[in-house]
Amino acid sequence: MFDVLSLPFVQRGLVEVLLLAVGAGVIGTWIVLRGLSFYAHAVGTAAFPGLVLADGLAFPATLGAAGTGLVVALGVGALARREGGADRYDSQTALVLVGALAAGVILASDVFHSGANVETLLFGSLLLVDGHDLAFAAVASALSLLGAFFLHTRWLVVGFDARTAPSLGARSPLPDAILLGLVALLAVAALATLGALLATAVLVVPAATTRLVCRRLGPWQLATVALVAAEGVAGLWLSVEWNAPPGPAIAVLSGGVFAVVAAGRAAGLRPLTAAAALVLLAVGGSGCGALEDGSGHGVRVVVTTTQLGDIVREVGGPDVRVTQILHPNTDPHDYEPRPKDVRETARAKLVFVSGDRLDHWMGDVVHQSGGSPLVVDLSTTLPVQRPGKTSGPEASRHDPHWWHDPRNVEAAVGVITARLARVAPAARARLERRAGAYRLRVEHLDRGIARCFAAVPPAQRRLVTDHDAFGYFAARYGIRVVGAVIPSQTTQAQPSAQAISDLARVIRREHVRAVFPETSLNAKLAHAIARQTGATADHELYGDTLGPADSAGSTYLGMERANADAMVRGFTQGADRCTIPLT
Amino acid sequence: MHPSLALLTWLTDPWTEALTRRALLEVVLLGIAGGALGGWVVSFNLGYSAESLAHALLPGLVGASLLGAPLLLGGAAGLLVAAVAVAVAGRIPGLDRDTAVAVVVTALFGLGALLALSPDTPAGLQGLLFGDVLGVSDTDLALAGGLVVVLVGALTVLHPRLLVIGLDRLSAPALGVRTLTMDVTVLVLLAVTLLVAVQGLGNLLVVAVLIAPPSAARLLTRRMAPMLVVSSAIAVVGAVAGLYLSYYAGTAAGASIAAVLVGTYLVLAAGTAAAAALTRARTRPTPEPAGAPA
Repeated sequence: MFDVLSLPFVQRGLVEVLLLAVGAGVIGTWIVLRGLSFYAHAVGTAAFPGLVLADGLAFPATLGAAGTGLVVALGVGALARREGGADRYDSQTALVLVGALAAGVILASDVFHSGANVETLLFGSLLLVDGHDLAFAAVASALSLLGAFFLHTRWLVVGFDARTAPSLGARSPLPDAILLGLVALLAVAALATLGALLATAVLVVPAATTRLVCRRLGPWQLATVALVAAEGVAGLWLSVEWNAPPGPAIAVLSGGVFAVVAAGRAAGLRPLTAAAALVLLAVGGSGCGALEDGSGHGVRVVVTTTQLGDIVREVGGPDVRVTQILHPNTDPHDYEPRPKDVRETARAKLVFVSGDRLDHWMGDVVHQSGGSPLVVDLSTTLPVQRPGKTSGPEASRHDPHWWHDPRNVEAAVGVITARLARVAPAARARLERRAGAYRLRVEHLDRGIARCFAAVPPAQRRLVTDHDAFGYFAARYGIRVVGAVIPSQTTQAQPSAQAISDLARVIRREHVRAVFPETSLNAKLAHAIARQTGATADHELYGDTLGPADSAGSTYLGMERANADAMVRGFTQGADRCTIPLT
Repeated sequence: MHPSLALLTWLTDPWTEALTRRALLEVVLLGIAGGALGGWVVSFNLGYSAESLAHALLPGLVGASLLGAPLLLGGAAGLLVAAVAVAVAGRIPGLDRDTAVAVVVTALFGLGALLALSPDTPAGLQGLLFGDVLGVSDTDLALAGGLVVVLVGALTVLHPRLLVIGLDRLSAPALGVRTLTMDVTVLVLLAVTLLVAVQGLGNLLVVAVLIAPPSAARLLTRRMAPMLVVSSAIAVVGAVAGLYLSYYAGTAAGASIAAVLVGTYLVLAAGTAAAAALTRARTRPTPEPAGAPA
């Protein structure tokens, strides 16, 4: 049950949580006492523009987040002083946060055209914790202790009564500025494991819980440090057992403890009894949520995307045991690896990745697993490649959606077969037979789609989708991509009024008849554009991921067949269809 | 082209497309509603609730999709639970309401994120309820129109009682105003606004509309009724200006409006500070410090 604690990334996570607990416990009590909860939440969330800048200008993300935190701390402090009264930071905090987020969205949408990697820090991960994060957490905690030791009288006087504090000699704004700075430092330190939206799970919730039972500051602080440490360790353990990210696990646990303690106090129960009941509950719940193992016997192989999983299963059959990391309908750009992925990778002989930064997070997973699987990047051996579109130092050289040209899949089948045969020489003949049969079906699909589009007049083959996923498909079958509704790849990006107006004009001028939303993305904008231009948006396409098991796009062949049918129907306004018989 | 004609073209050009006209109508409607409610949000220090309650949509949303219930219903249920929980937890002695918000929203958002890991959960669920100002649908517009009617009506009826609480919370019960009922009412009004507005505008823009215009209006007048009117006016003008900026500078639409609204606050703050300094310089002998410039 506790063997998970031997995994290296779990141990690093434990050290991180324990280091954080010291600072978070001590400063957490001050956050509750001084009513700084909103500020504590905002200062981490406002890291977004810092992360975008760090991504665009290629400096460390933590530096970007810490820089923004400092600006937010100074901004809130300055605005609050203007309003005359350091006891309330509420609307000032909201103003600074809105300003920071607006700046972040504009930077991400219009300056850097950021990729999805800016978002990973907003939802922390166990796998992202490295030596720098540990050092950062240690420094933040040490500074918090120092600050609390030297300044706690000052903080207490202002917290007790901000209006009379100056007359008691607490004139200087410096101690308060230091408190704001320390909260910012801890919030940024918590980003790595918990993410911006859940940093409050260690900074605020435990201190609020212990506040219910402690009266005096000293014992309250000690109890809070202990509670943060206990909830952090238990949350980490649960996150591995449940195969969930640590942030939500710790958040639910600490929220549950608060609810139980508050209810127990209201009912006059001893806090210890309530806590014991909760621990039993959590241990009981730890059994559920485990995922099924990769099916069958044979060579253990890990693949990232759904379409790769399908192809490897077609070739490998019962000779391989495939663990596919992404579920159907999950956007690969912003996937956050989970503990189970690392454990499966540690046991795998082979790892197939799609490449070109689509599943760049797999590098972390392989690194953290401590195993030595052979990693095969299928994007490096393709016959057809198109240039990548996003800018910035992390941009891909090639458009990563290579599987939408079936000739690339035929080549990938060859690579997959050769690699599998090398680790399972006994199965070579069977692998090659299955690969040959599958390749025939892919060729059949390719010819079928080409035939379908040949029947559509070229002037009608004009594609508008909600992100640039179909460059390969369009190039292969003579379709012109007129525009994309969301031209950038991060979901935080927004289009401008200008871009949307221009796109609507182009759609009318070119007589585009259909706009195609992608199944895994929010289709609201695509529908709005379609409604206005008289085009339809009723036909969905499978872009980055296969559909669930009962959908038309549950396999690679089904996905492309469904896409071709949707496009032919959209281009011809339903007059024509594309039906390719199953082989 | 004649200069005045060129100016006219410049002014009307952004609105030739129905998409931008819808966006304009949506921001005007929500500017009126948000500006008015925002006055109370700022007065009652509800900024954190305004910013974070929308995240409490998540567990209700995921739960509804797993049970096959209508998504909006689930989201609404999640929000109502959150609003009531915040009001109740905020009354625990020793905890202020912001701490209550942190506890409730953190736990609910974490729960939602855990539930969303289920393979049965459809993808992009949160995206369904977080709209973009340029993707406004007829339903969004109808909801926004309804919201304006409901909010303006409710705020007019409740105005005297809200004023009492705003003035003196402690003696409000003696004047016959129940603080818990009013706290829950204001939070529920806020939750309904978020449910409707977040679908049309996205979370960032909703917070901007709720916070920046009333903060700016408070610099100009401290009297509640005029402040609410000024706040709505600033919200509407700022939203229109933001759309112009997005059209001519080609910047992200929702973020541009948010930036203009915050910018308006900063300019007014700097302006009133300068005016106060001038007044002080002119009337040097009087030691009256610059308080609220009326």
